[in-house]
Amino acid sequence: MTTAAIPQPDAQSSDELFNFRTISRAFRSGLIVALVLGALAVVLQVVLHPLIASANVEENVTTVLGDALISLLPVFAYLACGSSARAAAPRRLLRAVIAALIAASVLYVGITAVESVLKLGAFQPRQSLQITLSQTDEGVLVEAVEAGGAADQAGILPGDVITAIRRDPITLDTLQKTIATSQVDDPLRFRIQRNGEEQLITARVGEGTSVQTSALVNNYVIALIAACFAIFFPRSWVAYVVLLLSLAPLIIGYLWLLIATFSARTHGLLPLDAQDNVGGLTLANWRFLVDPLGKGQSVWTITLNTLIVAIVMTVMVILVASMAGYALSRMNFFGRRIFLSFTLILHGFPAVTLLISIFFVLNFLGKIPIIGDIFGYNTLGGIALVMVAFELPLGIWLMKGFFDGVSWDMERSALIDGATRWRAFWEIILPQIRPGILALGIFAFISGWNAYLIPQTFSIGTNTATLSVFLRQFIGDTAPTDWNQVAAVGIFQLIPVLLLFVFAQEYLLNIYAGGLKGSS
Amino acid sequence: MKIAIENLTKKFGPVFGVNDLSLDIKDGEFVAFLGPSGCGKTTTLLTVAGIYKPTAGTIRFGERIINTVQPRDRNIGMVFQSYALYPHMTVFENIAYPLKLKGVSRQDQHKHVQQVATTMGIAELLERRPGQLSGGQQQRVALGRALVKEPDVLLFDEPLSNLDARLRLSMRGEIKQLQNRLGITSIYVTHDQVEALTMADRIAVISKGKLQAFDAPEDLYDRPKTLFIAEFIGNPPMNFATAEISGDKGSLTAQIGSLTLELPSKYAEKVARGQAIVGIRPEDITLVESDGVVGNVFVVEPLGREDMLDVRIGDQSFLILADPELHIKAGDNVSLRFNTEELQLFDPQTEKSLLWN
Repeated sequence: MTTAAIPQPDAQSSDELFNFRTISRAFRSGLIVALVLGALAVVLQVVLHPLIASANVEENVTTVLGDALISLLPVFAYLACGSSARAAAPRRLLRAVIAALIAASVLYVGITAVESVLKLGAFQPRQSLQITLSQTDEGVLVEAVEAGGAADQAGILPGDVITAIRRDPITLDTLQKTIATSQVDDPLRFRIQRNGEEQLITARVGEGTSVQTSALVNNYVIALIAACFAIFFPRSWVAYVVLLLSLAPLIIGYLWLLIATFSARTHGLLPLDAQDNVGGLTLANWRFLVDPLGKGQSVWTITLNTLIVAIVMTVMVILVASMAGYALSRMNFFGRRIFLSFTLILHGFPAVTLLISIFFVLNFLGKIPIIGDIFGYNTLGGIALVMVAFELPLGIWLMKGFFDGVSWDMERSALIDGATRWRAFWEIILPQIRPGILALGIFAFISGWNAYLIPQTFSIGTNTATLSVFLRQFIGDTAPTDWNQVAAVGIFQLIPVLLLFVFAQEYLLNIYAGGLKGSS
Repeated sequence: MKIAIENLTKKFGPVFGVNDLSLDIKDGEFVAFLGPSGCGKTTTLLTVAGIYKPTAGTIRFGERIINTVQPRDRNIGMVFQSYALYPHMTVFENIAYPLKLKGVSRQDQHKHVQQVATTMGIAELLERRPGQLSGGQQQRVALGRALVKEPDVLLFDEPLSNLDARLRLSMRGEIKQLQNRLGITSIYVTHDQVEALTMADRIAVISKGKLQAFDAPEDLYDRPKTLFIAEFIGNPPMNFATAEISGDKGSLTAQIGSLTLELPSKYAEKVARGQAIVGIRPEDITLVESDGVVGNVFVVEPLGREDMLDVRIGDQSFLILADPELHIKAGDNVSLRFNTEELQLFDPQTEKSLLWN
């Protein structure tokens, strides 16, 4: 009795290979994908592009993306058909295949109809001389000329043999290529053999409207293959494929960076030597590790400088931010709220606007004996000091957030157990937010290591330069830039950051998670 | 250690946390602060602990005024609702922390911690961290940490609220027994009247920052001085009804709608004719075979050991307890007898008891 109550889907239609519901579901999925992608393309090309263009900004991202969407749209739609068919008939492969093929065919008809209306794909007008050609030994033989077409207007007759464009000899292949790559109305000056005489005829390239039947057939084959492919392609991989595709620019970027450092020149991702041949791998770009570059700086002194700035910054930021954060989180004092809002404003303050005033401050500090030698203008201490000041608002807010998450009871308990407030802070509260402190430390270190603006502004000469400043020297205003060299120094600078991220990303995530609750 | 709280007031900005609260706690006494959430009982406790400084009034430990004394100099131990163990320390380090701060030598630390841990039955957990313990074990560690420095005063802030019901029952007994044995003056904050009634020598009932009553549990239960206490203490709560008192001296009656109750002659001295609020506890109304006041059962709530009935006499509703074996259903008519000897009477204006002031 109980088993009979369980509904059995497809109970009656289990033997049918041709199931209307499966087909309609497959078709629906394909249609939805097609509509969504189409809408996206329309937004990009019809809405976004004119909008950006109206602001006098030149870009082709929208058009390129839109074109890519339009050309990939049918494929994605067919893939969706297949995938959906598989889902609708999970245990009946044959039915899924049939449904996918039928749905894809219907979709193909629809898409082709839309293409014919919009003059896209196979219906796109293309450059043509409206002429039928064939290859012969003497040259390219004109077999037929479309009446009123471009060739007809130019005066080309059937039976003519085209031998060259201007003085360049041609074959059927190169001629067709030339036509395809030229613009409409471009003049082509043909050298033609007519009845044993050579003539010069100039023809203007016109627009052929003939439908490319081969493209239509190709598209249909693609539709069927895509639909079938999607059936056998595990659905769970789709997410990875999409992720990989969208990550491709990043991955390729890093790949280029790496390849470039080991090659003399590159073309795309291919390393080239001086003769444009693939090869030419070299370690020359890494010579800076051994030989002083440019104005006699060793990269290691500069690395040491950078390290000093980053470490001083890390230590100072952690010290000041943790204590300030504690006070702001736990104590009530006059001006607390105002202080909090001001730090937030400071966080959003662009450093550039303060450069001149900071210069005056550092210059003044520099005149004070002893302190001036450490924190004055053009000292590593001065640079670190300014960097700390810019990093602190974020650090204080982060630390305050972490302290807010520690339970009051724990602190009260410590006080009652006999601790002073200071001791409770060090021994009880601070250990609770260790992940936050680590995260902030890494954050501060990386921003100190990568800092460019402040070191560039407040260090002159070579003794106080940091890696970013050093890197900037390669991008000359007068001499051509050796980008492969820049890539090598860039990677050198990147290594510690990468290492930190690899080993500490767990803690870095804490910053975004926003503190931990008082555990237990 | 004797504790005297005199006219204690604690304000947070314009808000009163505690308002003019005075009470004396005898040496070795176990006092419970009982009240609804946000009534100021924890604020009072934290002021005694020294976490908050009083806005006005004084707190004395013995004869010493400790208003501005730091918590660490008060020699108190405290157990929190959240246990407040230090998660980065082992159980041993947690319990030893007060000793470490006192500057006790490492050897003595070991000795004391071992002793306390044995008392609390957590000797085998000393190397664990708080995160690896169950709630009950964590609470024992917290208690051990509070006891290890041999405090003059023990403070409990709802220590059992986070435990499950069964564990709460056993911990209740343990704490009471421990306090009895050690004789440490204790203040126990709770919103659970069963805890307060079973554990405390005296209960301070606090409401809206004010002290409502400070009495032994049986006094609060049998002789409530105000309507608030009568309402607050006891579960299921006392039944209340507005009554008209009439009759001659010696034979006063209370008229509640159609129900007439004869007052015992011992009340004659204190009660005058006119309006009064009558209170009667559910256990003082019994079901009888016949000859009682007839009421109609409105709702039956099974409590397991007994059924709680909501019985209507006219418009007036009374909660009574009945034997589940009787299988009383909603809609049944029952016959009731009122034990008027335990009747409470309150002035409707002042809400004070007419009997116990």
